[in-house]
Amino acid sequence: MNSEMGRPRAGTPRTVHLELFTRGLFSVIQKLKGTTEQELRIVLLGLDNGGKTTLLKKLASEDINTVTPTQGFNIKSVTSHGMKLNVWDIGGQRKIRTFWKKYLENTDLLIYVIDSADKKRFEETGLELAELIDEENMKDVPVLIFANKQDLATASPASEIAEGLNLHTYRDRKWQIQACSALSGEGVQDGMNWISCNIVKAKKDT
Amino acid sequence: MSEDSEWVVESIAGYLGSPEWVIPVTDFMENKCTVFDDEDENKLTYTEIHQQYKVLVEKLLENYMEEVGISEQQFTDACSSPFAQSKALQAVFQPVLATDDFQVFRSLMVQKNVELQLQALRVIKERNGVLPDCLTNGMDMMSELEQQEMRILQEVLRRSKEEYDQEMARRTQSEEVLEPASTSSSDRPLQNSAESLGPVPAQPTNTPKKGEVKSNRQPDLVASSQTQMPVLTNGASTKVSSAAGKRDKEETGSRSEECVQKSAAVSPTASVKFPPGQDGVDAKVSPAVRPPLKEPGSSSSVRRSRGQAGEAWLEEASKEAGISKPFTELSEAQQEQLQQRALYLRQQRDKLQALKKEQQRPTPAQCKQEGDPANRSVTANGLATDRITASQTGSAPLVAQNKKDVTAEEKKRLQKRKHLAEKLKEEKPSSRREGLVPPDFVSGVDGGRPPLPDLLRLHRNTQNSTRSDSPVRPRAQHSTGGLREDPSPPVGSEASQASVTKALAPPAGLPWPMGERRWKCGP
Repeated sequence: MNSEMGRPRAGTPRTVHLELFTRGLFSVIQKLKGTTEQELRIVLLGLDNGGKTTLLKKLASEDINTVTPTQGFNIKSVTSHGMKLNVWDIGGQRKIRTFWKKYLENTDLLIYVIDSADKKRFEETGLELAELIDEENMKDVPVLIFANKQDLATASPASEIAEGLNLHTYRDRKWQIQACSALSGEGVQDGMNWISCNIVKAKKDT
Repeated sequence: MSEDSEWVVESIAGYLGSPEWVIPVTDFMENKCTVFDDEDENKLTYTEIHQQYKVLVEKLLENYMEEVGISEQQFTDACSSPFAQSKALQAVFQPVLATDDFQVFRSLMVQKNVELQLQALRVIKERNGVLPDCLTNGMDMMSELEQQEMRILQEVLRRSKEEYDQEMARRTQSEEVLEPASTSSSDRPLQNSAESLGPVPAQPTNTPKKGEVKSNRQPDLVASSQTQMPVLTNGASTKVSSAAGKRDKEETGSRSEECVQKSAAVSPTASVKFPPGQDGVDAKVSPAVRPPLKEPGSSSSVRRSRGQAGEAWLEEASKEAGISKPFTELSEAQQEQLQQRALYLRQQRDKLQALKKEQQRPTPAQCKQEGDPANRSVTANGLATDRITASQTGSAPLVAQNKKDVTAEEKKRLQKRKHLAEKLKEEKPSSRREGLVPPDFVSGVDGGRPPLPDLLRLHRNTQNSTRSDSPVRPRAQHSTGGLREDPSPPVGSEASQASVTKALAPPAGLPWPMGERRWKCGP
């Protein structure tokens, strides 16, 4: 039972916690809230200008014409398949990337956004992803990669990016790469469907 | 069990209303709420503050439970009970819930910020009878104080830009010099004759502008002067390599790296790579002109290379004047002019060096100083050329390794400066969204948030003129502390956190006694 409590997550069934304050208030507060609704914490990361905020706004059905480079972070709550998804979009500029790891705790899913047309920075984006994957807080956390900006003629196909990122070597977690265009919305829903099929369901089952 | 939990819940709810809880928590919120605005995007600082809040609440609750003798088990059970989840109690538990829910926390903080602003408004109105124009008509007029601050800021920025430009000019110069192929000596006479007509300026003018630099391209002479001021050229060229970025970055970058690398082993003069032929020219000229000038001797490097530096300035001066004859063959008047010019140039160099020393901690200059002094004295004579080439080949692989790190770092620094310069041109404090302004610049003057700064300033003003028993806490003072949060650099977060907490602590000379806060807690 203890191992089950190793990573408290939203919606964990009520179990008796023996050492709650050594681990923080988290689980107590979950009880205090009387969580009727299941929640999922999703972190949206990727290099700057990858389209994270646009994607976030698209998910929340907001206007995407006013997107500016994110200096801090945005949070939106989206309801999908009967589950509340709290999506955290954190700025991707190099100077902010060092802050990413502060947002990884208790994350249920990582969405990593790649600008498929920015071939020059494929290596950089790959390194950042690899670093994230190695984080302790990211252990076993599924990854959904959006190969964004497919509306651009110069965009690389998702398969090519998957190969470049060595995704096939990820054996310790679920992963998926999804071609999309946050601008047009194409492919975004497919990604969300994957989330609901793989993560939401898995979570509900526990 | 249910009775038991009810007791626990009631006890905790009671605690959440007691001064032991309310004082530290409100205190925290009031201190930190100033950065919380209702913009859509969250600042990174929010997360840090949220973390601090979590720690605070956890500590408070833990202490209380220990004191009263509620076990963690009881607490958990109590929280799960339907009683604890009733609507009425949810509101009481809100501050606790905020530890886990960032959105709740944020809304609490934003609300607190607005409350404090309204409170300040009310106080101002009570005292003055009416609200000042700037607070009523919705216009965000700058207060006098703010305008003054803006002027100072602009002045500072302008100067910084000037310095930057000067430095850039110098770097371009050194860069051009570092490109051996860039000039042919055939265009020399023309330019020389043009320049030699004008008298050498006795008054210190500015550092050479770009155009001037170009006309001065004389590979051999410049090269020799280059070699004589290792500190300046190397320090500068490393930066140039990243600044000029687009062109020749690789080349100059690696070269200046080599300089740095080599310097420990070889004399500083060896740092510039030139074919022996050019060094030969150098050798012809420099021994003849041992300068009679005395050196102030401010830094060790200056002292050591005194003689060489003097030569360098003389040479540069003569080069500027377009005199290509050796120093000794010149007329007396010319010699004097040259001396003057050399003196001036050296002063400029010293200034730049001092500036640079301030800016850079471990500069290439420092490694350079470790160079063997014996070698130094030799180098002007081209004797060192053999050593140089030998060591160059030796250090090449090392260079390649380090090149990437250094240029990346330098690039960052330069980019920061560029942004500053850009900001300058805009002349107005822009809102933080607009650009990649360094955070320290942004946070101080928050242009994107109309009423608050005025309010605070006004409040600060009023404080000075009124008695100290005001019901409003000295928020302006805190707020400066709060705002200082933003500039905490993205690196070394732990250290910066420490400094932030320090900065946020109320200043020692607080005019309000601690007991004053009680008024908030109710009876």
